[in-house]
Amino acid sequence: MTLTVWDADEAVAELYGAHYRSLVRLSVLLVRDVGTAEEVVQDAFVAMHGRWGRLRDPEKALAYLRQAVVNRSRSVLRHRGVVERHDARATVAGVVPTTEEAALRHERRARVLDALRELPTRQREVLALRYYLDLSEADIAVSLGISRGAVKSHASRGAAALRSLLEDPS
Amino acid sequence: MTDRFRSPDDDLRELLDDAVTDVQPREGLSAIRARTEAPTVRPLRPWLLGASAAVVATAATVAAVTLSGSPAPHAGPAVPPSSSPPVPSPSVSSPVTAAAGGALPVYYSGDTTQGPRLFREFHAAVGGTGDRAARSVEESVAGTPLDPDYATLWPAGTHVNHVERSGGTIVVDLGSASLHDRPASMTAAQAGVALQQVVYSVQAAYQQRAPVRFLLDGQVTDQVLGEPTSEPLAQGDAASTLAQVWVIDPSQGARVASGFAVSGLAASFEANVQWELLQGSTVVRHGHTTAAQCCVMAPYSFTVSAPPGTYTLVVHDEDASGAGHPAWQDTKTVTVR
Repeated sequence: MTLTVWDADEAVAELYGAHYRSLVRLSVLLVRDVGTAEEVVQDAFVAMHGRWGRLRDPEKALAYLRQAVVNRSRSVLRHRGVVERHDARATVAGVVPTTEEAALRHERRARVLDALRELPTRQREVLALRYYLDLSEADIAVSLGISRGAVKSHASRGAAALRSLLEDPS
Repeated sequence: MTDRFRSPDDDLRELLDDAVTDVQPREGLSAIRARTEAPTVRPLRPWLLGASAAVVATAATVAAVTLSGSPAPHAGPAVPPSSSPPVPSPSVSSPVTAAAGGALPVYYSGDTTQGPRLFREFHAAVGGTGDRAARSVEESVAGTPLDPDYATLWPAGTHVNHVERSGGTIVVDLGSASLHDRPASMTAAQAGVALQQVVYSVQAAYQQRAPVRFLLDGQVTDQVLGEPTSEPLAQGDAASTLAQVWVIDPSQGARVASGFAVSGLAASFEANVQWELLQGSTVVRHGHTTAAQCCVMAPYSFTVSAPPGTYTLVVHDEDASGAGHPAWQDTKTVTVR
């Protein structure tokens, strides 16, 4: 019998503790809505639990979680039109700005999320993995199932598009 | 705004990080746990639980099933008719139709890429003696599966002395010359799954997930097949005990009409289920469907139309990772009339 360090439940508990928040945030960058992001990430953990027998390794499991979060985020956008259904300004973490400064900060964050949602899906995904999770080009390529060349070109186009969206005060 | 992109990469990093820095997700672990339905156990080990812990585990299981809103999905113990979609069953030679309330649930082991895992069959209840639970266990440990891909892991000569419910525990009394130690030919994983054959079969027969106490010839025993049994065993976690794709109907060797319905249970990534109808190694028909729910054993069904002949039907999950992880599958030989 193979000795495993963690069983599926322990793997879920450990990876949840270490990565739940960052995975939800990753999904928020992709789907905008926090409640949807939570659902997406919980689904990913349930899927990972079912697959733990084949993953058996925290690194592989984390890669699987990231991939599942990106895929599911894309899928909810496609199938549910989540972005369109939710009011953009109201749902950034459900935070109600209380001071002038907080309101400005809130506005700035909302603008970034708005700009991201304007980007083509792949560009948004590559930017989120590259600049939020700090993944290497190689890891992004694996996560998205695309070539490293494609990662590079999505990253540079996405970065340029995001800049121009944020600099243009439309 | 003008100095924002002095150092583009770093600035993008800060921008994205800042954009979600307020996001503080609500606690999600209990929701995840409710859906993974797991007693804290190691895979393919006997699930030792004291009586009180078992009560908690059973309650959690009930809660999980309720929360997920699915009809007895992980389940083994449910009797088939309600957990399967109401598809017509043209498999005339199927020994037990899904509607037959008297069918005995019987669990066997099948080899999978993840080692031995449980598959479920239904055997006819007619002609046997003794109570249903005892006959389910007898069929499981000593019977012959309909599907030649499955087998009992119990040594030849194993028989059932007695099965009963006592308090909150199910008691299974087995007999044979030598069931105390694990035979040299058996792996520990096989021994663990052998015991789970009995646990799942008897719990399904009683439709109750009570922990199972093993006796050998009437005596409490510290181990069975080398697996610890001083405490009653709980049902093993579905994800690590059951094969993750089952074909329930048609059964092995069934004779079916040209447009025949296939149904079963699958726990697969994104609930994707794929199938092929083979003649030799030639794919005659193929298709895909989705199970009712992702990631836990949930019902799926589809219809296949093929000209008369004998085929092998293969149903399997999708390789979602793209990393070459092996798939789960179940195969049945069917003859189209």
